[in-house]
Amino acid sequence: MKANPTDVLTGIYYIDGDVAAGYGALAAGCKLVAGYPITPSTEAFEAMCRRGPQVGTVFIQMEDEFGSISAVLGAVWSGVKSMTITSGPGYSLMMESIGFGAMLETPFVLLNIQRGGPSTGVPTKTGQADMMQSRWGSHGDYELIAISPDSPQEMFDYTIKAFNLAEKYRCPVMIMSDECVGHMTEKVVIPEADKIEIEPRRFYKGPPEEYLPFSPDPDLVPKIAKAGDGLGLYITGRVHDERGYPVKNEEFKAKYVRRLVDKIRLNKDKIIELKEESTDDADVVVVSYGISSRVAVKGVEIARQKGIKVGTLRLVTVWPFPDEKIIDLAKKVKAFVVPEINYGQIVFDVARCCHGQANVVLIPHGGAGVHNPLDISDAIESAAKEDKKIEGVVEFKTRLEKIVFERGLKLKE
Amino acid sequence: MNSITSAFSKGIEKSGIDRKKISMPSDVPFNPDVVKALGVDYFQIPRGRAIAFGTGLKLGNPSLRVVPVAGDLMTLGGNHFVHGARRNMELLIICVNSFVYKKIAGKPIPSTQSAFSPYSTFEEPFNFPHLGNSCGAIYTARWTALHTEELADSVAEALHKHGLSVIEVLAPGPNYYTDIDSIELELLKFYHENSTIKNNEDPKNVAIVPDEKIIVGKFTDKERPTFIDSYNVQHSKILGDKFTPHGGKNG
Repeated sequence: MKANPTDVLTGIYYIDGDVAAGYGALAAGCKLVAGYPITPSTEAFEAMCRRGPQVGTVFIQMEDEFGSISAVLGAVWSGVKSMTITSGPGYSLMMESIGFGAMLETPFVLLNIQRGGPSTGVPTKTGQADMMQSRWGSHGDYELIAISPDSPQEMFDYTIKAFNLAEKYRCPVMIMSDECVGHMTEKVVIPEADKIEIEPRRFYKGPPEEYLPFSPDPDLVPKIAKAGDGLGLYITGRVHDERGYPVKNEEFKAKYVRRLVDKIRLNKDKIIELKEESTDDADVVVVSYGISSRVAVKGVEIARQKGIKVGTLRLVTVWPFPDEKIIDLAKKVKAFVVPEINYGQIVFDVARCCHGQANVVLIPHGGAGVHNPLDISDAIESAAKEDKKIEGVVEFKTRLEKIVFERGLKLKE
Repeated sequence: MNSITSAFSKGIEKSGIDRKKISMPSDVPFNPDVVKALGVDYFQIPRGRAIAFGTGLKLGNPSLRVVPVAGDLMTLGGNHFVHGARRNMELLIICVNSFVYKKIAGKPIPSTQSAFSPYSTFEEPFNFPHLGNSCGAIYTARWTALHTEELADSVAEALHKHGLSVIEVLAPGPNYYTDIDSIELELLKFYHENSTIKNNEDPKNVAIVPDEKIIVGKFTDKERPTFIDSYNVQHSKILGDKFTPHGGKNG
C-alpha cells in the first residue's frame, strides 16, 4: 500500500530530527498523537500539532505520560494508527502501558528522544542510557522492536518503518533516538507519496462469529479488529486464550507468552536492519548506534589513516539484538569497540554474543555530550594492538574521564 | 455488581443506542460471559487508566460511545478524571464505589468513609459528584445497588449527553468475604435504611458522611462544548478550509 498524498509533505527541507520524525509519522498515516511535552522531544509533538489538523490527524496534550500512552492504545483499538513522543522521565512513566501494549499485541509507535539521565538528568543534552530500559522496562516477558536513527533523514524514513513494523508484527515499536539527532538540523528529502510504502493494518475480514482476536497466522501474528465492529471484543492484559478470555493455567501461559516472544524472535531476520562496512578483513569492528555512530565515523577514519583495519557495524535495529551477526564476526575479528553514551548497556549484549572469542571494549560517556573521536580512534588502536584475550568488557579510559578524575575525584583506586 | 450490570444493560436498552457501538474500558475485571451478554466491546486495562484509554478510543473513532467503568477512579486514575471532566471528553463514567477494593479486603478507598478496615478509616473521603461537577462534568448522579430502576434511567439519559457524565454507584462488592450473602444483604439493607433521593441537590451538599443519610439522585445536568466540538471550532477558525472537522457530536 502507498502513502496517502495528503499526509505527505513532499519536498526538500532543512529541518531537525524531531520535526522530521513528526512528518514521518504523518506520512505513515498516524491519525492520533497523544503526548505530554518534554525536552528534548517537544519539537516532534509541536510539528504534529501544527500540521496534524491539516491532514486529519488529531492531537491531544494529555495530563501525563500515563494518559498519553493509554490514549494511544485506545486509539489503536478504535482502528487508527497512533503514536506518542517522550523522553527519559516520561518514558519511565510509560513502562506500565508498554507491557500492556505488548500483551494486547497492540501496534503503536513510541518516539523516545533520549536525554541525559538518570532522573531529571540533563534535560537539554543527549544520552543513550535508556537502551536497556527499552528492552526490559516493563515487567514480564515480552519482545518489542527498537530502532535507532542517526540523522534527520533517517528520523523521517525510520519513523515510517517503525509504523510498518508495528503493523506487521502487532507489537510496540520504539524509536530510540537521542537529543543530538533530535535537534540536529540537516537536509531532509520527503519523497512523493507513491514512493512511500505503508503496511496496512491486518484487519480481520471474516464472519464476526468466527473471529478469534489472538489466533495467530502462520507468521505467529494474529489479525486485529477494532472497537465498534460488532465483534464483541474481550481484550484483557491478563494472560488469555485465543478468544481473549483470561486463563490461569501454566499451559496457556506457556503457550501465549511463548508466542509473544517468538513472533519477534523467529522473525528476526526480517526485522533486523544493520549497516555494515569493511568488516570482511577487519581486525577491529566498531559497533554503534544513533548519534554515536555518526561520531564514530571520524574516529574510524583516523584509525584507518594509521593503517588499522577497522570495520563498522551500525545497529539500525537495536532490539531484537543481532546475535547471529556478532557471533559470526567474533570468529573473525580481534576486538569489538563499542562507543555509547552510557556506562555500558549494548556492549554487554555484544560481549554475550562473543563467547570470549574476541575482546570487547566499551568507550563510555556519561551523557550531556558526545564522544571525542580521538578516544574512539585510540580505543581502536589499542584494541588492534592487544594480543591477549581479555575476559569480560574492557573499559577504555577516555580523555574526559582522565581530566575529571585526575583532578582528584576518584571513584576507586 | 450483578444488579449494576443488569441496570447498565437495561439503561443501554432504554437509550436505544446500538450496543455494538459501545466500548467499555475498565479496570474492573468482568466475566467474559457478562460482557457477551452486554454485547459491548470490553477492554480490561491497567488500574486507573480507563478514562485515558477511553479518550483514545473516542478520539480515534468519534462514533463510538465510550463507557469507562472505573474502580480505581480517584486513586491511580484521579488525574485522568479531573482532566477528562475539564476537557469535557465525551465519556460516560460509571464509578463503582464498593466501599472496599474488592480484592483487598479491609483497605479503605479515597471515595468512602466506611468501616471495612480493621480499625475503620480516618481519612476524609472524596465527594465524588461535587468533584466531577466542579471539574466540569456535565452530568453527575449517584445511586446505590438498590436503585436499579433509577440507575438504568440515568444510564439511558447520560448515554445521550454530549460530554463527560459520571454516575457513582454504591455497591456491595466484598466477593471475597467468606459470608458473602449476609454481607451483601446487610449492605443492601443499610442502603435501604440510610439513603434518601434528592434530585437536583447541589453536589457540594452530597458528601457521604458517617451516621447521616446517603444522598442519591441526579445532581448535575448541563450543556457545554465537548473537547471535539472545541477542537473543531478552534481549528476551523484559524485554518479555515485547510481543516476538516473531526467526528463531531457522536460522529
